[in-house]
Amino acid sequence: MRYHIENKIYHVEILPPKQSTEKLEADLELFAEKYNRVMESGYCACITDNAMGLLAFQGHEIINELNLKVNPEQVMIHLNTFHTKSNLCEILDTCMAKGIKYLLIISGDGSDRLPKLQPADVEAEDVQSVTSVELLRYIKRHYPDTFTLGVAFNPYEPPEHEFEKLKRKIDAGAEFIVTQPIIEKNAIVDEMIQKYPDIPVIVEAWMSKKLYLLSDAVGYPIPEDTEFDPIKTLMQIHRDYPNCGVYLSLLGFKTQYHLIGETWRNI
Amino acid sequence: MKIVVCVKQVPATNDAKIDPETKRIVREGMQAILNPFDTYAVEEAVQLRDKFGGEVIALSMGPEKAALVLREAISVGADRGLLLSDRAFGGSDTWATSYVLSKAIEKIGGVDLVICGKQAIDGDTAQVGPGIAAHLDWMQAACVMEVCDADKDTITVKRMHEDGYDICEMSLPAVVTVVKDINTPRVPTLKGRLASDKSEIPIWKPEDIGAQSSKIGLDGSPTRVVKTAPPPIRNSVTKKITGTSAECVKELIAELRLRSIL
Amino acid sequence: MRLKNDSDKLKYSNVWVVAEVLSGKIQPVTHELLGAARSLADAKKSKVWAVLLGHNVKEQAQLLIPYGADKVLVVDDSRLSGFSDELEARILVRLIKKYKPEILICGATTRGRALIPRVAVVSECGLTADCTELSIDPVSGDFLQTRPAFGGNIMATIRCPFHRPQMATVRPRVMKAPDADFSRNGEIIFEEVTESDASKIKRILEVFHSDDVAVNLADAQIIISGGRAMKGPEGFKMLGRLAARVGGAVGASRAAVDAGWIPYAHQIGQTGQTVQTKVYISCGISGQIQHLVGMQSCNLIIAIDKDPSTPMMQMADIAVVGDLFEIVPGLTEEIVKL
Ligand SMILES: Cc1cc2nc3c(=O)[nH]c(=O)nc-3n(C[C@H](O)[C@H](O)[C@H](O)COP(=O)(O)OP(=O)(O)OC[C@H]3O[C@@H](n4cnc5c(N)ncnc54)[C@H](O)[C@@H]3O)c2cc1C
Ligand SMILES: Cc1cc2nc3c(=O)[nH]c(=O)nc-3n(C[C@H](O)[C@H](O)[C@H](O)COP(=O)(O)OP(=O)(O)OC[C@H]3O[C@@H](n4cnc5c(N)ncnc54)[C@H](O)[C@@H]3O)c2cc1C
Repeated sequence: MRYHIENKIYHVEILPPKQSTEKLEADLELFAEKYNRVMESGYCACITDNAMGLLAFQGHEIINELNLKVNPEQVMIHLNTFHTKSNLCEILDTCMAKGIKYLLIISGDGSDRLPKLQPADVEAEDVQSVTSVELLRYIKRHYPDTFTLGVAFNPYEPPEHEFEKLKRKIDAGAEFIVTQPIIEKNAIVDEMIQKYPDIPVIVEAWMSKKLYLLSDAVGYPIPEDTEFDPIKTLMQIHRDYPNCGVYLSLLGFKTQYHLIGETWRNI
Repeated sequence: MKIVVCVKQVPATNDAKIDPETKRIVREGMQAILNPFDTYAVEEAVQLRDKFGGEVIALSMGPEKAALVLREAISVGADRGLLLSDRAFGGSDTWATSYVLSKAIEKIGGVDLVICGKQAIDGDTAQVGPGIAAHLDWMQAACVMEVCDADKDTITVKRMHEDGYDICEMSLPAVVTVVKDINTPRVPTLKGRLASDKSEIPIWKPEDIGAQSSKIGLDGSPTRVVKTAPPPIRNSVTKKITGTSAECVKELIAELRLRSIL
Repeated sequence: MRLKNDSDKLKYSNVWVVAEVLSGKIQPVTHELLGAARSLADAKKSKVWAVLLGHNVKEQAQLLIPYGADKVLVVDDSRLSGFSDELEARILVRLIKKYKPEILICGATTRGRALIPRVAVVSECGLTADCTELSIDPVSGDFLQTRPAFGGNIMATIRCPFHRPQMATVRPRVMKAPDADFSRNGEIIFEEVTESDASKIKRILEVFHSDDVAVNLADAQIIISGGRAMKGPEGFKMLGRLAARVGGAVGASRAAVDAGWIPYAHQIGQTGQTVQTKVYISCGISGQIQHLVGMQSCNLIIAIDKDPSTPMMQMADIAVVGDLFEIVPGLTEEIVKL
């Protein structure tokens, strides 16, 4: 991850096609287009796992099916706890076989439709419920030295509790941290960076003009008419966090992609 | 065993936007998904077929885009799908819906078992499963949490009740509705979905199943929705209880007794 | 039946309540429905009938009259000891044909919701599911039935203008049971099971009763829910003890589930379960909107929080300001004493 930060390599979020799509072929094509563009730019493609509990196809199966090229430094897969055991093994095995190295381990959003890993599935009999911590430990144990594992940090949650959770994630073997989207310098994020100076931190930048949608993602209300310029904000985030990587969520491939090429390099 | 599994396309509540004023789910623009309860029905049907042999046919009544939920059923193991789609079916209540589904089941012919979800998450009535059984005059078991046994003539199931459960044996053909405890449905894979996209989904019209026009759609539906409204805004008076913990407990108990909850 | 014309309506009268019998005992929901039926019948100037199907239930027929029944139809037969949907449906269809009730209501219990759809289909009439409000339309005289749909996010009012009888299942513990009036008089009518009723019915092999079926969220009447404030799995055990006392289930906010303190199956909210219980007791849940959408349709919301300004405390019917680690055990203890 240090390599990504030093070389100003963006992490670009790509959402896989939803299972409810009526035009799967077209969606897959679009996915491949975005993915390949990210590869060509030398950035890192980050593929989400059933975000908001809405069923989508999995990154590893799309890469497999469409035979997309994997450069280990350029792909990150999100992996949450809403899977069956056999599903989990299949994901990890495919990632290993394909040379996918970076995994972002999260507890994730559930839904009626998604199975949930049970404590016994990840050999964690002492807990009530499987979280990213148990999943991390399991992967570390069964796939030693295979993956570089990251975890999420939410500066909008009560800090005491969130720091306690982060500590458990780090103790379980997390090697990098990705924050929830921020739109300005954030005191809690600053505190976190200070606490863990040796762990690479990627801050997430919100790239949608619709700032109020951010409230759906972080859980706190933002008024609908809030003015917001994503590119300007991104530049400010680079200035505020020169030693952090940046994860671009909801990046507009048509409207914004060509603008970000120089933003970081010019800072 | 020839199994028909009934599946419905419903709006995804997860996808819901929440109206900040009314704090209610805004239904517009929601994604359409397979009714979550029906995934358990499909899984059970597929497992029974794998155990006893036979065929699983997924059946849905809805607009043409409901073919998607049939494809989803196929992608996780159903053998084929059938869609009942026609303007004349529109506006059907549970009476008419279960009539149409039962006519299709008769038309398919030789069906041993019909499996439905416990309820749909939009209409929320849980009436369609028993309704199908009634139209066909077949035996039924609602809220099934386990299929204990089956052979070519009978099925034995465990039903959930408020005060426990029972085990009953029905002769086939029969209808069951299933609850979540019954299994863990598999999630469709991309491979499965791509394969299912290739399968042909026939569309049946009223005349294909010999449905009487007076028994389908709005005409065939005894119930009329005369009004829909957001639920009453919560009574905004909050009764505040403060004091030492012991005082709070005492006062809370008094409130609960007053409302005959204790 | 579908009515041929308006005057057909006049052939149907009285309000029927199908009694709920579990383990040979009449359930409280039946009393609640008798109360509701009484006001409907008063509005229609007609009578309330109770229908009692079961085995060894004869003696209990008398007990329905104090709650408002004018007549009780009893079918007492050993074949009615278990829950045989097919048999009960055929009996009801036959009695409906014979006596022509105008309205029929039954508890929206697992049995009622399995049985009445079968009756409605064969009797060719509409059925409204899981109602929470019932009234008579002053203009048409039709039965107006209001019910939540879409997980409680919509209230729909339904009527059946061209079919009789008009049928509804009614959610338990919503209507108020009247006080018993033992001076009331009523008539008891006995009916038999016929051979054709009892043909082709399921065989009930075993019945298990259990008082402590782990209540799941969907069926619970009371939910005790905890959030981040619970501090760990121990906190949820404390809620579990209170839940066991009141026959309720334990719910949770996502913060608690994400912390690993309680399984995801207990999570309430946008990415968890939607619940509509009679009572919801929130213990240290601030009430972010993603949580509120999962529980705001509950009838009575009680919040316990040390901070009186949270959204949950603002929206609650009863807001208790204090430390939940003292209040919850205190409450459990006091309830044991009752
Ligand atoms: C707000 C509202 C309130 C309503 N209230 C009533 C009411 O009180 N009474 C009434 O009769 N109708 C009512 N309806 C109409 C009812 O929703 C429709 O008739 C619907 O077609 C079936 O009912 P359901 O969604 O409740 O399904 P349920 O009966 O809850 O569904 C149970 C199972 O039946 C199967 N199933 C249901 N629909 C289909 C389908 N189209 N295709 C294949 N399988 C299916 C599935 O396996 C499903 O899991 C209401 C509709 C709305 C919008
Ligand atoms: C996409 C998305 C989906 C989500 N889905 C859900 C969902 O389905 N369900 C859900 O619940 N959340 C969901 N959330 C999360 C939600 O936004 C909130 O973060 C969460 O509900 C907060 O949980 P809480 O109320 O337990 O914690 P907090 O907000 O931290 O509240 C804790 C409360 O406990 C009180 N307290 C602390 N100690 C004590 C004490 N000793 N005595 C009394 N009171 C005390 C505090 O005053 C405070 O009010 C979702 C968020 C997102 C972004």
